[in-house]
Amino acid sequence: MNLSQLNRILLQTLLIPVVALLFVAGVLALQIRKAEVTVAHMQAVGDNISTATQVGQYIVNEENAIRGFQLTGDSVFLQPYNTTQTPLGRDLARLRKGLALQGGDPRMLDDLVFAHDTWHIAFAEPIIQATRNGTDTRDTGLNLRAKAQMDHIIQLIARIIYVQQTQRAEAARTWRRQVNQTLEILIALALLIGLAIGISARNRLHQVSDAFQKTLEAVRNNAQLTYESEQRLRTMLTSIGEGIIVCDRHGKVEILNTVAEQLTGWTLANAINEPIDSIFHLVNEHTRETLESPAASFPQLPLTPKTHDGDLFGSHPILISRDGSEIPIEESEAPITDREGKLAGVVIVFRDISEQRRAQTTLLATEKLAVAGRLAATLAHEIHNPLDSVSNLLYLLQNNPSPEENAQFLDLASKELARVSQISRAMLGMYRESKEPVAVDVQEMLESILLLLDVQMRHAQLTLHTEFAPGATFTGYPAELRQVFINLLTNAAEASQAGSTITIRTEIIVERRRFPRAESRPAGVVVTITDTGEGIPAETLPRLFQPFFTTKGEQGTGLGLWVSQGIVQKNGGTITLTSRTDPDNHGTTATVFLPHGTAVPT
Amino acid sequence: MSLHRRLVLCIDDEVVGLQVRKIILERAGYTVLTAPDGPSGLEIFAEQPIEAVVLDYSMPGMDGGQVAAAMRTQKPTVPILLLSAYVALSPEITRNVDLYMTKGEGAPILLEKLNGLLTGASN
Repeated sequence: MNLSQLNRILLQTLLIPVVALLFVAGVLALQIRKAEVTVAHMQAVGDNISTATQVGQYIVNEENAIRGFQLTGDSVFLQPYNTTQTPLGRDLARLRKGLALQGGDPRMLDDLVFAHDTWHIAFAEPIIQATRNGTDTRDTGLNLRAKAQMDHIIQLIARIIYVQQTQRAEAARTWRRQVNQTLEILIALALLIGLAIGISARNRLHQVSDAFQKTLEAVRNNAQLTYESEQRLRTMLTSIGEGIIVCDRHGKVEILNTVAEQLTGWTLANAINEPIDSIFHLVNEHTRETLESPAASFPQLPLTPKTHDGDLFGSHPILISRDGSEIPIEESEAPITDREGKLAGVVIVFRDISEQRRAQTTLLATEKLAVAGRLAATLAHEIHNPLDSVSNLLYLLQNNPSPEENAQFLDLASKELARVSQISRAMLGMYRESKEPVAVDVQEMLESILLLLDVQMRHAQLTLHTEFAPGATFTGYPAELRQVFINLLTNAAEASQAGSTITIRTEIIVERRRFPRAESRPAGVVVTITDTGEGIPAETLPRLFQPFFTTKGEQGTGLGLWVSQGIVQKNGGTITLTSRTDPDNHGTTATVFLPHGTAVPT
Repeated sequence: MSLHRRLVLCIDDEVVGLQVRKIILERAGYTVLTAPDGPSGLEIFAEQPIEAVVLDYSMPGMDGGQVAAAMRTQKPTVPILLLSAYVALSPEITRNVDLYMTKGEGAPILLEKLNGLLTGASN
């Protein structure tokens, strides 16, 4: 039931008794009017009776007056006779009117008036005249006739009165009947209306009560559904493998799920309503600076959801938990808006990436091993051969050589050992990393690498052509960069046919404008490695820097270029590949730019 | 049994190693011819009455295995001793040679093995 229905019911419940009462009042009024009419009638009749009685009285007075005069001859006795004429006439008129109003028979009055007039003329006046004359009026016959007439008159009057009285009695009976009727009607109406009101009110009340019940139930159901839904969400929050923190528009913590509790070291009970910064303390991995709080831009809406996820080589935010332990995390923040689009809070989702980092570190280590693997052949060759010669020379030295031979053998031996040292140092140079970025001479670095690759190049019958710009240096981490260049050079060697040339060139850059993404860059060094192999098709080129993508089938580990790119970027530089696959112009050029002084500290 | 100046062919791309090996073999009584790569070695092998070959495996262009295979088609009875800087070589390679050893085992072992090959062959 809605509100308008309820209002209608209320209105009805209110109006019905009112209407009923009005109805009853109307009926009552009607009955009363009828009774009034009856009473008025009764009164009129009563008036007629009085008037008629009065008329009778007047006539009797008249007769008495005549008799008196008749007896005494004194005109004093005639006075009443005279004085009654006017009132008598008036009353007769009144009576006539009265009778006419009651719808009574006027003939009776006419008879009376006639009779009275007759008495007047036939008896009263003559008797008066006679008495005045002194004539004897004791004529029995006349008197008897006069009396008879008078009796007749009186009878007439009596009849009129009687009729009126009958009417009055009738009216009284009517009135009583009407009163009873009214009572009965009242009682009947009262009962009926009472019943009707009772029933209808009961119905209405039931309707309202039912509706109320239903509403209550609906509310209860809603509450139940809401509760269940909330429970589901809570379960979800608890089960989710990522930490979730929700804070309100003032930056106070509202929700902290189980994983968030574990990672931050705060329980929800302790954290609730605390400012977000005290719970969720992030620092930059390298600089240890505190990172901007999610609540920093409140109450402005943060413009975009932010994500701090770093990458393989970049820095991740570190979460400092309550007990001081540090956890590398990936996190993202997104604003929560209400229906009007205003800021209602922020939801932060984050997860522990220690495992991931370990995996990434392992990957990197694997890649470094892979590099070593590529050089295994070199190592074996470049170490066993010289040592074999040294061993042979020692054997010769032990068997009494001549002094010149002695000198010669020793010289050869020491040269071979120097070779071993060089190779060994070049190899180890890939692994001993400096803690800070250092100034690196590009030529020295590349030449040491070429030493390691010499055997490979010779066996593949490739020629190396180098153009080193003197004094080219950059600032960075040489050990990992050696791996990069070894990767690039072995790629070039593997792509080349026997007898072809690989060109290595270094160039000092003063003002960078050369790269496709031409930004203004600081000074640095560009190293290009060019081969004349088949080339890389345009659609494959962009995918080369994806991890695990390889064109070498089972033999390539595919880590190479992805890791190489990361290392170069860590040193603040860039690496690009360009390639041509035309039959008469084919080959690939790897271009590495390394700047002065912008390497990311580890 | 005397070696009385058996003719041995040494093939190796390592200059110093070849040179030193030649001295050792000569001191031990062999006559030594050398070649810095497979093709020139095969030429000498074809023209000269080589009695034994000391062959390096890893060489640019034609490697030791290919050289041995070629030699077997020409003069299969000539013993071949394969030297390698690598630790393990596949049977495909080693079935074309009589003996295979790694560099670094030392001169005495080399001389002993070579002697064994030649005395075996002469019998």
